[in-house]
Amino acid sequence: MTTTGFSRRGFLAGLGAVGAATALGGCVTSTGSQAAGGSASGPVTLQSNLSAPSAKAAMQALVDSFNKKGGTQASLNTVASETFRTQLPTYLTSANPPDVLTWYAGSVARSYAGKNLLLDVSEVWNGLAGYSDALKQLSTDSGKQIFIPASYYFWGMFYRKSNFAKWGVTAPTTWAEFLQVCETIKSKGVTPIGLGADNSTPWVASGWFDYLNVRINGANYHRELLAGKHSFADPQVHKVFDQWKTALPYFDPKGTALSFQDATTNLLQGRTGMMLIGTFLLDTTPKEDVDDIDFFRFPIVDPNMPLVEEAPTDGFYASAHTQRKPQTLEFLKYLTTVEAQEAYLKSSAGSSLPANSTAKDSGTPLITKGKEMLNKAADLTQFFNRDSSDALQPTADAALIKFIQHPEQIDSILTDWQSAAKKVWTS
Amino acid sequence: MTATLTAPAAAPPSPAGPRRKRRTLSPTLLAFVLVPLLVETLWVFWPALQGVYLSFTSWDGVSAATLVGFGNYAELFSDPTFGKAFLDTVLWLVLFGGLSAVGGLAMAMLLLKDRRGVGFYRAALFTPVVFSLVATALIWQAIYQPNGLVNTVLGAIGLDSWQHSWLSDANTALYAVIVPALWRQIGYIMVLYLAGLKGIDPTLYEAATVDGASKWQQFTKITLPQLSSVNSVVLSVIIIDSLRSFDVVWALTRGGPYHSSELLSTYMYSTAFQSLRLGYASALAVVIFVLAFGVILTYLVRAFRDADA
Amino acid sequence: MSRRPLRTGGYHLVAGGISLLWLLPIILVVVTSIRSFDDVAANGVGSLPHSFTLDNFGQAWVDGGEFQAMVNSLIVTIPAVIITLALGAISAFALSRYDLPFRRTVLLVMLAGNLLPPQILLVPVSKMAEMLGIYDTLGALIGVQIGFGLGFYTFVLYGFMRAIPNEIQQAAVIDGATPLQLFWRIILPLTRPALASLAALAFTWVFNDLLWSITVIRTDSKFPITSALLGLQGQYVSQWNVIAAGSVIAAIPTVAVFLRFQRHFVAGLALGAVK
Repeated sequence: MTTTGFSRRGFLAGLGAVGAATALGGCVTSTGSQAAGGSASGPVTLQSNLSAPSAKAAMQALVDSFNKKGGTQASLNTVASETFRTQLPTYLTSANPPDVLTWYAGSVARSYAGKNLLLDVSEVWNGLAGYSDALKQLSTDSGKQIFIPASYYFWGMFYRKSNFAKWGVTAPTTWAEFLQVCETIKSKGVTPIGLGADNSTPWVASGWFDYLNVRINGANYHRELLAGKHSFADPQVHKVFDQWKTALPYFDPKGTALSFQDATTNLLQGRTGMMLIGTFLLDTTPKEDVDDIDFFRFPIVDPNMPLVEEAPTDGFYASAHTQRKPQTLEFLKYLTTVEAQEAYLKSSAGSSLPANSTAKDSGTPLITKGKEMLNKAADLTQFFNRDSSDALQPTADAALIKFIQHPEQIDSILTDWQSAAKKVWTS
Repeated sequence: MTATLTAPAAAPPSPAGPRRKRRTLSPTLLAFVLVPLLVETLWVFWPALQGVYLSFTSWDGVSAATLVGFGNYAELFSDPTFGKAFLDTVLWLVLFGGLSAVGGLAMAMLLLKDRRGVGFYRAALFTPVVFSLVATALIWQAIYQPNGLVNTVLGAIGLDSWQHSWLSDANTALYAVIVPALWRQIGYIMVLYLAGLKGIDPTLYEAATVDGASKWQQFTKITLPQLSSVNSVVLSVIIIDSLRSFDVVWALTRGGPYHSSELLSTYMYSTAFQSLRLGYASALAVVIFVLAFGVILTYLVRAFRDADA
Repeated sequence: MSRRPLRTGGYHLVAGGISLLWLLPIILVVVTSIRSFDDVAANGVGSLPHSFTLDNFGQAWVDGGEFQAMVNSLIVTIPAVIITLALGAISAFALSRYDLPFRRTVLLVMLAGNLLPPQILLVPVSKMAEMLGIYDTLGALIGVQIGFGLGFYTFVLYGFMRAIPNEIQQAAVIDGATPLQLFWRIILPLTRPALASLAALAFTWVFNDLLWSITVIRTDSKFPITSALLGLQGQYVSQWNVIAAGSVIAAIPTVAVFLRFQRHFVAGLALGAVK
């Protein structure tokens, strides 16, 4: 750790003026500036939130294979994802930041880019083959690329094939058929829909909101709503909840008391029939059960709406304050290669898809089916917090959990949601 | 602070040494006071001043901060979540604070005498204090789950109607979180009281027994007054811990569902690190501080006055 | 006299029952730590074990980086406890045994530092550590632990030292003892039991702290054990069996310290030696 003489002097000066608000503010709200002296030595640091042991091992393998090439070296630094999220502003505004960080594509990344905290990585994108235009668009902010996608995954209604066969139901495509399936499963004495949105993973409920909103109002309205251009108290939003209400009787009454992991356990044990969730549910599925898992597309509500799917994209961006710009770009370039993408996929038990279309995915029937679903989609959304901001997510959690428990209070829930969201947008 | 553990109350120490010495403050003493004070200034007061400054700004932790004067404080009054968190915090202070003091004292009385097995019992009560939060949260979640331990036991004794999703029901979440918080706190308060009880001169009880005082009279007339200095420590500990109670609540409910178990501390944390409204969060922190300091100050000023009386 | 065995039995029934109730959650942690991941995933944390394995401990210790984290924790905790108590003792001595001007104000101000919700300090402290050039070092963690613990320890020790009878001090002063000698030879030895019990408490607090360590440390190899445990939780999926095993390991030092100091605890606040 080096400190520049300037900042230490500035600090002492600040101490001398304890009462001076300027000094107070200057210290605490200062954002890191380029340290004089240019490039620092040492390896490129990759700050990663992939903290599950298998994911961590896969990332380490990726960094090791980069280091074996000789030349620039990189070092991996893994932090629990919850810690990572709270510390992200500190990382990015630090005068000596991590060079490369894992995070999500979409509005979440763009908002940091808008504050000049992310490195322009257009150089890496130049002449890059194997990446779709959609991914490039997703990684672009005001004409510059600021993000390197690594992988994406999909959401769907997951279920056990053997159980559907046992209950004599087949995967539905429309909302009416879906309710019919729920009715049949219920008649077998099984809870049709599992949720898993307790206090530790309340965001799971946002999947339902996102999907119903894009099925009823379309992807553009959804994005505008999340950006604060519409009110959550709008009649269009109300329609989403009216639709949701028709399925609520089939929801697990304990849905808001179980974490996503426990809800997965219930699904595997046949206590619930299906669950709207991302492919990461495979990470917590015992190996012998994986082949019995299948999914169907979220049912169609309005046949006139183009089909939109959720495809959250994960990847990397670099800090604008990096003191190792050339080495950082070299490392990012490596991260776009087939070799690196395939190594990265191992971090998720093969449940996600590589961003580089020439890289091989796990090739299981389920993953192939998901890939086809996304390829046919008219548009892709990311997920509630990725299309808006991490700051807006708690407002959604409070509103959606309350709706699931007290659907009759929907009017006051939506006005409360709007006023809470407004505070986030205007702050 | 009536800091006398030896009975009867001794006169407060008068200044030591001849008068002349006191006017020229010895450099040793000055260093003894100033060095610790400087350390605390560097790590606590200076950052705290910055925090107070932040409470007058609107800041997202990333961009430049803008001064908003008392805007954040004005917002507190119209913020329903703040009102909820404030009431919850008061309730928490009374319930968690009161129960941990009573429970800790009761356990200390029970486990005071050195006899066979007492060491094991004390250690058992103290173990939760030293157990990591991550494990604590995991286990209590498992205990409170819809098909967890509590509901299983209720079902076994025929109270099926009482079964409940404790942590996810807005009516019970806060009370459900108090239990693990107490589980971690009582052993700690017990240790403080044990130490205090040990310091009471046994001859006092002997004299009382001769006078024919009942157990209850002995407790109210001897034990409680003799514990006064420990009580002041316990009170400070309880107020500090109640108002700063954060980790257990955050780990178990994050203040949810929909703010039903929101304390000022959890609301502040989520405002700062989830909503990224650091200015408003700092204003909340200042409120917590003023509350804590207000309570302790009134108590201590009175205690100091008693000591000088 | 014939009622004694009955009373003893009753006592053990009550105390044993409470202890068992208290240990029950801990027993659950231990049970979880010897189950396999697939067992936990298939049956949930709350179920009876269907498997037995000791691999989780190895996984937490080696793959989870707990060994390094344990070393870091001790590197932070031991100096922090010693320095905090030393500073707390000297300031309590000066404030309690001498009529210094504003001594109560100073004491209250020091205590006030402890009443601040730590969350308000998180951002300023991390920025300050960065300016001092010690962000992401164990030194910063030691510093913040000292600063943040000091007020309370001073406050407690002040109480003890006030209670020491004045005659002892006056006798020493007449013999020509300087304040330093008075502190070192007379007051400090009398305060030893209190220091021992505070040391054990401080050890527990610093060792188990989570908030500060994630605020001033960024590199995983420098994390103390608490944040390393947190790192065993995945983004979506957590191996609760490994986390439970890690927690059992992490609790060993603090439990050991408590058991070692148990006698001191009880003597801690008692000044029976002073008559």
